[in-house]
Amino acid sequence: MAETTVNAPAPMNRREFLSYIWGASITLMLGGGTGAVLWYAFPRFREGEFGGQFRLNTSVIPPETAPPEDHPEGRFWLSNTGQGVLAIYKVCTHLGCLYKWTPANDRFECPCHGSKFQKDGTYIEGPAPRSLDRFIVRGIDVDGNIIAETPDTGEAVLLPPETAQILIDTGKRINGKPHG
Amino acid sequence: MESNFDLKDLPFLKLLREKGLKTAVLETVDDVVLRLTPGLNVADLRSMLRGDPPGRPNPRLRPHADGFWLHIRPGYYNRHITGLYPSFRLGWLSTYFFVLEALTGIFLMLFYTPSTRLAYPNMLQILSNVPFGQFMRDLHRLGAEAMVLFVALHMIRTYITASYKKPRQFTWVTGIILLFFTLFLSFTGYLLPWDQLAYWAVTIGASMAEAAPPPIMGQFANLMLKGAPDLGPNGLLRFYLLHVIGLPVLTLIFIFVHYYKVVLHGHSLPPEREKVGEDTAKRVPVDERRYFLPDIAASEILWTGVVTLLLIVAVTFLYSAKLENHANPLNTPFHSVAPWYFYWAQGLLKLGDKTLMGVIIPSILLVMFMVMPYFDTGPFRYYGRRRFALSLSMLFITIMVIFSWMGTPYFAVQSSLDQEIMFELAPTEKPGLVRVIPYEELEAAISYGTINADAFREIVPRGTELYHVMEVFARELEHARQVPPEKGGLPGVEGFFTVEQVQPDLVAVNLVISWDDGKGGRQSNEQFVPVHREAYIGSEE
Repeated sequence: MAETTVNAPAPMNRREFLSYIWGASITLMLGGGTGAVLWYAFPRFREGEFGGQFRLNTSVIPPETAPPEDHPEGRFWLSNTGQGVLAIYKVCTHLGCLYKWTPANDRFECPCHGSKFQKDGTYIEGPAPRSLDRFIVRGIDVDGNIIAETPDTGEAVLLPPETAQILIDTGKRINGKPHG
Repeated sequence: MESNFDLKDLPFLKLLREKGLKTAVLETVDDVVLRLTPGLNVADLRSMLRGDPPGRPNPRLRPHADGFWLHIRPGYYNRHITGLYPSFRLGWLSTYFFVLEALTGIFLMLFYTPSTRLAYPNMLQILSNVPFGQFMRDLHRLGAEAMVLFVALHMIRTYITASYKKPRQFTWVTGIILLFFTLFLSFTGYLLPWDQLAYWAVTIGASMAEAAPPPIMGQFANLMLKGAPDLGPNGLLRFYLLHVIGLPVLTLIFIFVHYYKVVLHGHSLPPEREKVGEDTAKRVPVDERRYFLPDIAASEILWTGVVTLLLIVAVTFLYSAKLENHANPLNTPFHSVAPWYFYWAQGLLKLGDKTLMGVIIPSILLVMFMVMPYFDTGPFRYYGRRRFALSLSMLFITIMVIFSWMGTPYFAVQSSLDQEIMFELAPTEKPGLVRVIPYEELEAAISYGTINADAFREIVPRGTELYHVMEVFARELEHARQVPPEKGGLPGVEGFFTVEQVQPDLVAVNLVISWDDGKGGRQSNEQFVPVHREAYIGSEE
């Protein structure tokens, strides 16, 4: 039977080299195209849509003694504690139910498995692994400058008196502290 | 019970132990390549890329035999059809455009909702708020028009080379069906932006469904297509479903049938080489073969790349799909036109009864095309022996071009000259000439007061856009002055251009054309065009 294969690998000639170069450039182009498609396909969040920013007047911030305000379109509770303002994510950190504010007990209670949290989101008891998550709150003055912002630890932010509006960024969530 | 499986018996690890790392990796790579191609190992692949002769048996036929992707593609072609002539790759490119449209269409579906409330806002979002949104939309639109063009060219080529003759008659029939689906796909997609252009073009087209005889059939077809007596939410949804799933599935099925027949009978050779009924697919002499891998595959990749490049360059620098105002069922805009491949139908419809012109004649044409190969049983394919058939086709194309011209706004739908001039300067549905003028020039023109079109040269600075627009205005008015009143001329016509500041960043252009009404008084046509500082459009379309 005639020998049909080469024993030693043949040296690369120009045609083969060019084929590899073409292959690499086509792959690069397809890669770039895929990148463009992914950039195109990523969801766009608009102001006023969950995932985007919510702009509220300081007049809607509840007083310190009052219970937190429900903002269903932004999926957060606006809570005013002695230490400042918080935007607490309405989803319980246990398994995803929406907990409720129980006025009689002055705390948040989740109906699904009984997790309980304080007005500032701190974990009290229950199967939830951590305190409630919160969104970054920024205080804006009349000129549009940011004069206050939720710290990275997620604690309440004190709003100076010049604050005209608050901006709540539902695209950036700070997880609550895990309890012991 | 003990299992037979032991981790150290994995083939790669066994190889590693027996022959060392380098050999193990090389042999595994070789094996993987053999399975992926399938059928070519690294040495075969390299030999193919190097341009070596394949040897016997030819290993490059194995991917066709063993693999799914190449199973329907011929292993080899007759070398006389591998050049640009006679096919010009038009069949391959028609398929390419179908795939391109499917892909860009799916991407557009991410941001589009087929609701009359949301469609237009979605279009605005795609065009302004999505990265590469305008790019995707323009590609989809240009690709659709290119697909219609290439499918038509493919049909013309097939006719000219008499490739529809025995035994390929049914291939031609499926081709005509595919042409119909391509046009129908384009038609259904046209409605989706839900702007004035879409709404009225489709209203006209859909009313041809209503014109189908007998009247009860027409009403049935109309309601099935539009989902309601008028074009509204139901119609948009039905057109959307037809466009994204109904027609693509049908088109795909017929593409499969069409291509299977092409491979079965073999691609027809140039007319000088293959007589009617000769089988050239099954008996290609070895010295006339060109193998699919690598030559034809490379050629297909090349043409895909070139056409993609041309499309991207066109979309980036030359072409932009337009979006007119939101669809308004209460107002049909002046000079509504069909897309260019339906101009011939619009031309026909200007001539008479819609059932005859819009339904019967196109249907007769369609049927005639389909049955043509069963009637044209002449024994010749060569051009010189088919002079009558070729002349007939040229005549048909000429007639189509004439009817297409008749479909443009230049035939039978010219209105009064003042309306025509206003349409050019300040149309209701597209920017028009006045919107090309930059805001700053208009702001400066406020101080000129009312500019008379006959005396603008002393007032308006040369070289500005405003000067250019006034030139067009003056020229059109002069033309209207020359035409005799019985033929629609405007005696004693004058034109005025005034710019006022309406709000801090908003000016308004007031256009007035006035002429003698022949009864001692004057008639006028006024148009008011607000222009905002931030809204520079830049082109008249």
